[in-house]
Amino acid sequence: MKTMWKIIWKKVFTLGLLSISVMSWANDHKLTLENCHLGEIRSQVKCGKLEVPENYQKPNGDKIAVNFAVLPAIDDSEYKAPLMFLAGGPGQAAVELATVLNRVFSEVRKTRDIILVDQRGTGKSSALSCEFEAVDSVYSTLSDALDPQEVKDCVSQFKGDVTQYNSENAIRDFDAIRAALGHEKLNIYGGSYGTRAGLVFMRMFPDSLETVILDSVGPIEVPIGLFGQSGARSFNLLLENCKKSAPCHKAFPNLAQEFQAVKARLTKEPVSIDILHPRLGTPTKLVIDNIKFTGNLRFQLYGMEGRSMVPLVIHQAFLGNYQPLTGLMARTEGEQLVYTGLLFNIICNEDIPRLSVADKAADANNNFDGKDSHLAWELVCPFFPEYRPSEDFYQSVTADIPTLILSGNLDPVTPPSNGEFSAKTLPNSHHIIVENASHTVAMSTCASDIVNEFLTSKDPKALDESCLKDIPQESFMTSVNGIQ
Amino acid sequence: MIQFKALLLKEYRETFRDKRALMVALGFAFFAPIMIMGMAKIMIEKLVDEPPVYVKFTGAEFAPKLMLHLADNNLLNFVDVPEDEKTTWEKRNIAIEIPADYAKNMAEGKPIKLHLQADFTDKAVKPPVRRINSAIREFSLSIGYKRLLLRGVDVRLLNPVKLVEQDTAEPNATFILISMMLGIYLMLAAFMSGLSVAIDSSAGERERNVLEMLLCQPVSTLKIVLAKLIGASTIAFIGVVLVLVLTSLSVGFVDLTKIGATFSLDMSTAIFLMLLLLPICFLASACQLFVAFQTKSFKEAQSTVGMLIGIPAFIPFVVSMMDDRPEWLDWLPISGQSLIIESVFKGVDVNWLAVFATSGVTIAITAALVLALAKKLKSEKVVMALS
Repeated sequence: MKTMWKIIWKKVFTLGLLSISVMSWANDHKLTLENCHLGEIRSQVKCGKLEVPENYQKPNGDKIAVNFAVLPAIDDSEYKAPLMFLAGGPGQAAVELATVLNRVFSEVRKTRDIILVDQRGTGKSSALSCEFEAVDSVYSTLSDALDPQEVKDCVSQFKGDVTQYNSENAIRDFDAIRAALGHEKLNIYGGSYGTRAGLVFMRMFPDSLETVILDSVGPIEVPIGLFGQSGARSFNLLLENCKKSAPCHKAFPNLAQEFQAVKARLTKEPVSIDILHPRLGTPTKLVIDNIKFTGNLRFQLYGMEGRSMVPLVIHQAFLGNYQPLTGLMARTEGEQLVYTGLLFNIICNEDIPRLSVADKAADANNNFDGKDSHLAWELVCPFFPEYRPSEDFYQSVTADIPTLILSGNLDPVTPPSNGEFSAKTLPNSHHIIVENASHTVAMSTCASDIVNEFLTSKDPKALDESCLKDIPQESFMTSVNGIQ
Repeated sequence: MIQFKALLLKEYRETFRDKRALMVALGFAFFAPIMIMGMAKIMIEKLVDEPPVYVKFTGAEFAPKLMLHLADNNLLNFVDVPEDEKTTWEKRNIAIEIPADYAKNMAEGKPIKLHLQADFTDKAVKPPVRRINSAIREFSLSIGYKRLLLRGVDVRLLNPVKLVEQDTAEPNATFILISMMLGIYLMLAAFMSGLSVAIDSSAGERERNVLEMLLCQPVSTLKIVLAKLIGASTIAFIGVVLVLVLTSLSVGFVDLTKIGATFSLDMSTAIFLMLLLLPICFLASACQLFVAFQTKSFKEAQSTVGMLIGIPAFIPFVVSMMDDRPEWLDWLPISGQSLIIESVFKGVDVNWLAVFATSGVTIAITAALVLALAKKLKSEKVVMALS
């Protein structure tokens, strides 16, 4: 289930949407826009809904209300085309990320509106949500314990025609919101799956786009869903970097062997130990098998802070101490990072059917988590209603729009080679690979400043990239008490 | 009508003849935007800028990670101080001592004490110390969080309650400091700019015997007073317009977005403000003429009027400082206009009843003053300054 959503580490300390002022949602108006408070943003912003057809082929059929927010430009004395954020996942609700995005894009917001849209099927736009796991059992359940009946029950709960909750319709919604807000052109920033959405946007509505930023690319050419090779690459880079760093190598001289040893041990027999529930403080069981172990490590590979703890976690697990691993699991316990219904609906229909047996076998041939990342798709996809996008959907995108492509070298799901696909087909693009960064680089590095510069200059090849060189090499924790 | 036109023409001639005096009179209007910009700049620097701080560390080598964290917050080692700032930081003399057993205690999980020494009565020391404090607290917390996390504790437990502030101001409300100051300056401009003209055309003309000559002409005293009023209030109004125009021009030189604020004055707002302040300009000039005629000499007029204008000009300042405002303030001249200006900048709906009420009251008072003055000018006492 660990797919391309990005971890926002700060989310540990924040809770998404807190409140929205009362909205007068009248049926005879297609668009509503009201002042509201969002997340932890101090000042008021605008919250809106736009009524769109569920099926664009049947404009008079059922309607859905697409929820969105506008973080208004602080200085609006001069009009500049706004920036629309396309969320990852698929299944992240952009509006729920308002607090983080308001900080990351603070420079952009000084002169531009930032538009956040809950993609249909997420957030407050007719969310397709399934609670696959009972909230307090992440510690005691195993990843393959999913009951097919549970999936079936969940899918049957979805209202409306689920097959209309696809990428192309989502883009039609986004463009409709652009038009409804009266903007001739948009800039779009897509992160992770948001880059896939961005590429579809570029193909369907090239005239609506002024510039495009694709951060950690999921190109049309690479089906989403196989993360074995990319995860292993990211993990092996971590092992290498630990070896290169003197304190890390000194503390964990046999890290690679220890990892394989723990994995082998857990494959043979899952560990079951009594722990205190990390949050409740009451006795509970912790059950770990190799899939859960590597799955949780994989999740840490998405961000630099998580990565810094991985060597220590492996070493302690090797010594038989699973407390550090438990603490990592607790970071996101009980939090809904993505709307899983939409996640599976899109990946199971738009990407998984394109994978051959040979593709899967090649991806599974790695020394990190083998074919574990395919497990969720195999378990869940058979139960989702089928739809197939048009043939156009799978054509490489060649739109002549200024495009900035960003990749993090350490990324476990969208490696720099992904970005190369889009860099090759997009005529006016430039690909920046950030050496010491992981997934969605603009979220955690000064690449956000480069994005801001790009929005103004619109020339992807002549940007000041010097600040990226100051990003430090990854460093690691070497003791459970912290370091000098 | 011809008489009145001639009188008005005479007033304008008198006013615009001395260009230098006129420039001085309007000097206040030129000065206002500079003041506003200066204040805003200082404020922004205080709020956002984090200039480098140089600290004398002993034992820096024991805590490389801490030193890195401090450097990230622009808190630097004194050994790296640039030559031109050396004396400043030598004088501030902020010292931090890192114990030799820092690394050992960190690894063993024992509490570590760093000692910061500085002269806390020195005002310049306070902001750096505050920054050092918060940087070290942040560093300490982040290690504490990780220590607990690695012991299998849900670190969210450390934040049981969080207060989220939600500002209910309109999203397009302008930066409070600038709008408050601009409101006060507009009012001051109305009172200050026409001041010298009003005194000159009343007490001044009396001393130059021009007034007596005017009164000998077969024109009504009302016309004379009205001509003088219009002459003085024209200059007052020019002052108001200048403050508005210059402020909206110069505000572009300060990056208010740094502190998440903005200031823009569109045409319709500017015109509304001008119309709102027009009656105030008349009121100010009427007051000044009235008081100046009561005095015995030009000198006395200068000091008395100069003092008196301080009182009305002070009202907007007081009003802006008041937390609970009684409702009758909406109706009075000056305070009413100040409150309306405030709501214009806050972006909230303007209370139109208050606009008409306060303008009405202002005009009524002005009219009363003009009539009273016209009557007084018929008396020898005022004309000869005998009273």
